[in-house]
Amino acid sequence: MSSISLSNVTKTFGAANIIKGVDLSIEDGELVVFVGPSGCGKSTLLRLISGLEEITSGQIHLGKKRVDHLSAASRDIAMVFQSYALYPHMTVAENIGFPLKMAGKSKAEIEAKTNEIGTILQLLPLFERTPKQLSGGQRQRVAIGRALARDPQIILLDEPLSNLDAALRVDMRMELARLHRDLKATMIYVTHDQVEAMTMADRIVVLRDGIVEQVGSPLDLYLTPVNQFVAGFIGSPRMNFWDATTNENGDLLLPSGTALSLPRKLTAHQPVTVGVRPEHLVLAADDGTAALQGTVLSVEHLGSDTFVQLHCGFGDPAQVDINVRFAGIVPVRIGERVNLSVASLDNWHIFDAEGIRVEAAQ
Amino acid sequence: MQTTLAKKICIYLAAALLALVIALPVLWLFIMSISSSTHLTTLPLEWWPDSPTLENYRSLLIYAENTPSQSFLYAIRNSIFIALAATGLSICAAIPAAYSFSRMPGPRRKNLLYAVIAIFMLPPVALVLPLYTVMSALGLLNTHFALIIVYCSILLPFATWLLKSNFDTIPGDLDEAPIIDGANRLQAIWYVILPIARPALGAAVMMSVLLAWDEFFYGLLFTNDIRSKTITVAIADLAAGRVADYGLISAAGILAAVPPVILAFFMQKTLVSGLASGSVKG
Amino acid sequence: MISHRKTVTAWLLLTPMIVMILGVSGYPLIKTVYYSMTGAKLVAPELTDNWVWFHNYIRALSSANFREAIWHTTYFAVISVGVEMIIGVMVALLLNEVFVGRTLLRAMLILPLALPTVVNAMMWRLIYNPDFGALNALLVQFGMLDAYRSWLGDPATALDMVIVADVWKNFPLVALIALAALQTVPKDLYEAATLDGAGMWNRFWRITLPAIMGPLSVALVLRTIEAFKVFDIIYVMTRGGPASSTKTVSFYVYQEAFAYMRVGSGASYALIVVLISACLIAGYMYLIRKHGEA
Repeated sequence: MSSISLSNVTKTFGAANIIKGVDLSIEDGELVVFVGPSGCGKSTLLRLISGLEEITSGQIHLGKKRVDHLSAASRDIAMVFQSYALYPHMTVAENIGFPLKMAGKSKAEIEAKTNEIGTILQLLPLFERTPKQLSGGQRQRVAIGRALARDPQIILLDEPLSNLDAALRVDMRMELARLHRDLKATMIYVTHDQVEAMTMADRIVVLRDGIVEQVGSPLDLYLTPVNQFVAGFIGSPRMNFWDATTNENGDLLLPSGTALSLPRKLTAHQPVTVGVRPEHLVLAADDGTAALQGTVLSVEHLGSDTFVQLHCGFGDPAQVDINVRFAGIVPVRIGERVNLSVASLDNWHIFDAEGIRVEAAQ
Repeated sequence: MQTTLAKKICIYLAAALLALVIALPVLWLFIMSISSSTHLTTLPLEWWPDSPTLENYRSLLIYAENTPSQSFLYAIRNSIFIALAATGLSICAAIPAAYSFSRMPGPRRKNLLYAVIAIFMLPPVALVLPLYTVMSALGLLNTHFALIIVYCSILLPFATWLLKSNFDTIPGDLDEAPIIDGANRLQAIWYVILPIARPALGAAVMMSVLLAWDEFFYGLLFTNDIRSKTITVAIADLAAGRVADYGLISAAGILAAVPPVILAFFMQKTLVSGLASGSVKG
Repeated sequence: MISHRKTVTAWLLLTPMIVMILGVSGYPLIKTVYYSMTGAKLVAPELTDNWVWFHNYIRALSSANFREAIWHTTYFAVISVGVEMIIGVMVALLLNEVFVGRTLLRAMLILPLALPTVVNAMMWRLIYNPDFGALNALLVQFGMLDAYRSWLGDPATALDMVIVADVWKNFPLVALIALAALQTVPKDLYEAATLDGAGMWNRFWRITLPAIMGPLSVALVLRTIEAFKVFDIIYVMTRGGPASSTKTVSFYVYQEAFAYMRVGSGASYALIVVLISACLIAGYMYLIRKHGEA
């Protein structure tokens, strides 16, 4: 079994609490992505699972076996490092065979296995080269090959694509996804790139300051972020936020003063933060029903999309406070006043003063 | 244009002067070594022998009992053996220590490293008396073993420090990868760190050998006959001998200098970068 | 369960080194402190020891001879290291210029460094020889000297002549360190300064020197610590003479303990030397901590 479960795992370095009590369970064969801003503890969490760092308290189980007291070597976990960490003095074949050599396998076994991996990853023609003689993408594949050598139940990947250029990154993303399907190994993937997270993950774990903010499928996170942080972190461009209040009926008061009746009633007279994704805003008629009204500050035409930045009257008038992403070509001009409404009532995200998603009583 | 020409002339003059200052004393040592002792004691001094001879070298290198060659050849043998053994012993202990200092840092280990460096810099007079009385009590004076052990007090801190600062330049992932791949720490050192750090290891070995070869103080005090006298002590004996055969002394000096000079030129690059990083980074 | 597996491994890897250092340095150092408060003799030190408290120290500090040895050592260290620094930096500046033969000249710097200290001392002793030495011959043949002199036999010149020999061997070390530091100074810094109207003198004081000050100060302290230990060169060239004019503290300890066999007072002298060295070593530690983690 290769499920992973963490219960109340903490890690402190000196006086600094890096991981502040993480509970998490990862199913067998799942591809889970840890995502979060730099310094959120995602890499540290990965290293705790790998055994490269020791936990300060809590428990880690792999399958039914408790492993937090075991050394990294005896956890049967493979890892792909951000720098690839290929052994510079070994050939590609020796790199891939190294874990097998450490496991005391015979020469013949090592050769058979490295050849098998070389075939899967199309590395056979490069076997006698040293890492210096490889391109970035090839190094990446060797690093993955080495991770696969011992048929690990669990593969950890620490920002594996961050050293590749954009085009190669897309290719490798698909190759990794294919490998995951073929191998059915449990994978944990750390990245700061939310696009990678959204496209690859079965489930995403959003971390901030050593705490798990939300765990869920990419669409869960996109559609129902549990708090303002997750809402802001997932999705690009970033979700728009503004402060508002509710009226005595529990309806949302819009900047224009009109009340919006959401499917879920809110607590009366409550200060809230409203969030709407840029792609959920549409142009509206100037008939007083618009959710927002603003002045266009800049327009970017991409053909497929049009990005518009507006000032809608929250704060400094020279500042952009609302981003909109219109599908297709939309003829708006700088300085123009536009009316915006929200495509669907489901696209409104309401957060309370603590930034927690408001799931009001129905 | 004028200033650049003047500058050029200055540079070449200074370079020539520097070359002379460095070369002349050694050149003179060499000339003495191929001169007969009568030639060297003729006045006024002539700068080049009329009949250059290798006689001095021959009388040092061809073994004969109760001649300078006996003590000289024994001293060379003793020095080689002691330098290599002390280096081997020190490097063996220095490698894991340097790895620990470099890869598994902790506040107490950091202080220990500073203590080790400080010990390396202590004057030998601070340690020599107890070392002498202990060796004497154990009957180890005038043995190779005594000097091998004592030289570790110089070589071990030095090698640890040199290796540590080199290990620091190896990316951290490279010794975590083998741990993930199922190696224990010693295997990670053996299969990954040492092959990567091979140039530094070579430098540490060679500089340790140089240090041991150059050592004089302990050698002078802990040895008293051909069984264990080192080359530096033998040279000092020769230089202080009553029969002053300057040619012979010079030849001995040249021969004693050949191994370290060859070693040093061979590792010129590592030596210089080692000096530089040692002084910049500590 | 909180485990400290990594810490344990870290200390295990250090164990061979710690054991050896304690054996060959730690224990002897403590024992030296013990000896320094006894009247131990070199022959059978354990049998004849008698506790004298700080008597040895008081005697050492009130001994004019020892104070003179400290003065000789200080003189030797300050002058030789000072000259080495000046020549070293000048040589480094020279080698930082582009000219034919630069690589060869830099390689030649290794020669004095690699020459064993004892061979260097012996070489200079021969050069200074009062009857047949090359220095006398050279100076007389060029008419700069009327008659042969005993360079090492004259208390007025002996220590300075030893310093010359030491400088010759050690200035290349400073030069190589300074050169390595110089090569890290970005060229455009000079160009910018030239554009700003700085002359050569100003460029040296305001750009070059500050840029190499770190490594240079480390080299300075390192050399001073070494110079304070000076023994080999003294032993071979002068044995402390003439008239004790080149007797340095290390040589003094050596004589006290091994010629006069007074281990107890020898140890107290040694520890006074250690104390002086410790100040220098502390300075060195400060510098390497300042210039980056060791």
